[in-house]
Amino acid sequence: MFLILKYIAKLLKALSSEASPNQLAGGFVLGMIIGMTPVLSIHNLFILILVIIFKVNVGMVILAFLIFSGIAYLADPLFHSFGIWMLEHENMQATWTGMYNNELWAITKFYNTVVIGSLVSAVLLCIPMFPLTKIGVVQYRKHIHEKVMKTKFAKALKGTKLYSVYQTVVRVRG
Amino acid sequence: MRIKGIIFLAVVIILGFLISWMSIDPIIESEIEYQASVANGALVEIEGLDIDIIDLKIRWDKLQVANPENTMTNTFETGEMELDFLFWPTWWERVIIEDVIFKDFKMDTERETDGYFEIPEEEKNAEPSFVAQLVGDVTSEISRNAKMEFTDIKTNINVDSLMSKLDLQAPEKIDSLRNGLNNNYQKWDSTLSNTKINSEIDNIEKTINNIDVKNIKDPKKAIAAIKNVQKLAKQVDSLKTRAQNLKNDFQDDFGDSKFSVGRIDNWIEGDFQQAMNMAKLPNINPGNIAQSLFGENLLADYSGYLEYVALARKYGSRLAGEDKEKIERYEGKDYKFSDKYEWPKLWIQNIDLSGETKTAIQLAGQITNISSDQKKTKEPIKFNLGGKDDSNRSMSLTGEFNYLNDEPVETINFTYDGFGLKGSKISPSELLPYPLETGTGEVSASVSIVDKRFDSEIGYKAKGISFDFGENPSDDKIQQLIRNAVSSTDQINVTALVDNLDGPLKVKVRSNIDDLFVNALKSTVSQEIDAARQKIESRVRNEIGDRKEQLLAFKEEKEAEIRKEYEKLEARVNEEIKKVEDKKKELEKKKKELEDSLKDKIQDKIGIDWK
Repeated sequence: MFLILKYIAKLLKALSSEASPNQLAGGFVLGMIIGMTPVLSIHNLFILILVIIFKVNVGMVILAFLIFSGIAYLADPLFHSFGIWMLEHENMQATWTGMYNNELWAITKFYNTVVIGSLVSAVLLCIPMFPLTKIGVVQYRKHIHEKVMKTKFAKALKGTKLYSVYQTVVRVRG
Repeated sequence: MRIKGIIFLAVVIILGFLISWMSIDPIIESEIEYQASVANGALVEIEGLDIDIIDLKIRWDKLQVANPENTMTNTFETGEMELDFLFWPTWWERVIIEDVIFKDFKMDTERETDGYFEIPEEEKNAEPSFVAQLVGDVTSEISRNAKMEFTDIKTNINVDSLMSKLDLQAPEKIDSLRNGLNNNYQKWDSTLSNTKINSEIDNIEKTINNIDVKNIKDPKKAIAAIKNVQKLAKQVDSLKTRAQNLKNDFQDDFGDSKFSVGRIDNWIEGDFQQAMNMAKLPNINPGNIAQSLFGENLLADYSGYLEYVALARKYGSRLAGEDKEKIERYEGKDYKFSDKYEWPKLWIQNIDLSGETKTAIQLAGQITNISSDQKKTKEPIKFNLGGKDDSNRSMSLTGEFNYLNDEPVETINFTYDGFGLKGSKISPSELLPYPLETGTGEVSASVSIVDKRFDSEIGYKAKGISFDFGENPSDDKIQQLIRNAVSSTDQINVTALVDNLDGPLKVKVRSNIDDLFVNALKSTVSQEIDAARQKIESRVRNEIGDRKEQLLAFKEEKEAEIRKEYEKLEARVNEEIKKVEDKKKELEKKKKELEDSLKDKIQDKIGIDWK
C-alpha cells in the first residue's frame, strides 16, 4: 500500500514539474509494453532492466502497465490473429526459422502468436505514444495540474498519515 | 543512468540466486523421492542430493530402492552418482541427461529402516494393466501344481468328510435354472391364453357369417361385400404374421442358444474337479510332473521381472501424455519452425552402471535412452549388463523396451551360468528330495511381449550332477524307482514355455526326466489314483442325483404344452384364412351372376349383344 501511495504521490509530483517530459513518456511507453504483452516473458525482464537502469518515471510505468493490461486482456484475440498472420507470412519464414533455431531468440517465445502479436503491436504503438505522451505532459502541466491538485482525491491523499510519513522520509533522505 | 537502480538489480539477482541455491536441492530431492516411491511401491531414498546449476551437474551420495515384497531389503542401491544435464532444454521444461555414472551398484541389500511406503489412493485404484494381470495369471498357474502330492496317495479317502467340506454348486444352479424356466413357461402360457388373436378371429368370423350371399341381388352390393372381405383377408394375414412372431419369440426364448445340456454337464464336471482338487489327486502326465518338480523354482522370480516391464509401460505412457496442446485465453499458440526442441520431458541418454550382485558377481553395463516419449527421441530403451566372478559364474541381462510404434514391444534376455549346485536341492517337490553332491547350474530366460501377445521361454540346466541319496535311503517303492531313474542322469534340462499367442495363458513345463517319473509313478500309484477318482466321481454324481434328467423331462413336457397351444392358435388362424378366401370366391361368383343377368336384360331391351 505504502509503495503504491508512494508512486502515486511521486507521479503527481513528477507530472507537476520535477521530471522531464522525456522521462515521463519513456516510463509510459515501457509500462505500456509490459502491460500489453504477457507479463512473464523474457523481453519484459529486459524492459524492467531498462526501467531500473534509465531514469524513467516508475509511477508512469505502473500507470501505463495498469491501463494497458486491461486493454491487452480485451485485445488478446486481435494479438493472436496478428501473431498468426506474422508467423505464417511467407516472406518471414526464413527469418523465423533462423531465430527459432537460435536458443537465445527461442527463449523469448517469439514463436507464440500472442507474444509476437502483442510485442510488435506495443512497439509500433510506441512510435506515436512517445511524442503524444510528451505533448500530454506539457498540456497537463499547463492546464490540468492545478485542477487535479484541488480534487478530493489529491487532498485526501495529502491528508493521509502514510503520505505524511512518506514526506518525512523524503525530507530525511534529502 | 540510475546507479541505485543498478545496485538494486544486482542485489535482487544475487539474493534470488542464493535463495534458489539453498532451497532447490531439498525440494527436488523430496519430489524425486515421492514420485519414485509411488512408482516402486516402496520407499526410494536419495542421500546428499546436490544440484549444481553453474556446472549443470546433479550428484548424490547414495540411492536406495526398497523391495516392495520385503521392505526390510533393497531391490538395489547405488553409491555415488553423477550426471550432467543440458542447459537449454530446461528452458522448455525438459530434462535431458547425457551421461549418468552409477558406482557401487548392489542388488538385494539389507536395510537399516523399514522401506514401507503408503501408496496414495488414486494409485491404488488404478486399473490393473495387461502385464499386471499377466503377473497374476502366471503366479496362480505356478501355484496350481506346486503342492500336488504324487507319492502320498490316500487310498482310503474319507468321502463323507470330503463331501461335507465340498460346496457343490451344480444342484443349486440346476434348481435355479428350473425356476427360471418355469417362470418363463408361465409367462408364455399367459401370453398364448390372453392373446387378442383369438378375439379378433371371433370378430372376423362373425363378420363373415353376417354376409348372406344368397340375399345379395345387386352387383353394387356384391362389390361392396367383396371389398369388405378383402379388408378381412388383410386382417387375417396380419394375425398370421403376429402368430408367427409369437412362435419365433418362443423359439428364441427356449432355443439352444439359451439353454444347453452342455452347461449342466460343465457344472457337474466343475463340482467333480473341485472334489478332486480337495482330495489332492494328481493327474500323472509329463506336464504336471515337470511343473510340480521345477515350476515353482523356475517361475518364482518370473513375476518379479514382469513387474519391471509393467512399470516401464505404465510410466512410458503416463509421461508421454503430459504434452497436451491447449490454447487458453492470453496464452496463444506456439508455432514450430523446426524439430530442434522436440525433446521428451525426460531423456537419460546413457547410464554407465557398475557394481556387484549379492553373489559377488562384478556387474557392469549400460542402459541407454530412457525417455518419457520414444517417438521424440526415436530411440528405444536398451540395456546390456553383464559380469563374471572369480569362480567363473557369469550373469548377463540384455533387452529392449520399444515404444516407437503403435504396439509396445518388450524383449528381455537373461542368463545366469556356472553357479554351484553342491548341497542344494534341485526341486522343492517331495518327488525329488535328494540334495546334489556335484553340479553346476545355468538359468536362461527370454521374454517377448508385443502389445498383449506374450511369448517367453525359461530354461534351466543342471550339468554334471550326482545326487546324494544318503546312507539309509527310503525303501519306499516309488523312491527306489526314482533313485534308479535319476542316478543314471548327469544332466537335467528343464524348459518352461509361457505364452498367450493362441488366446488364454499357457504354461508348459517340460524336462528330460519327466518320463522317468511318469513311468515310476504309473507302475505304482496309478491304480490307486483311479480307484479314488471313481469313488469321488460316483459320490458327486449321487449327490447331484437325477436333477439333470428331471429338468430335461420338465422342459420337454412344458414345451410340448406350449407348442400344442400355439399349434391350436395357428390352426384357427389358417382356418379363418380359408373361410375368408371361400367367402371371397362365393361373392365373386355371385357378382358375375348378377352382372350376366343384368347384361341379358339390357340385350333383351335394346337388341345389342354385349357378350
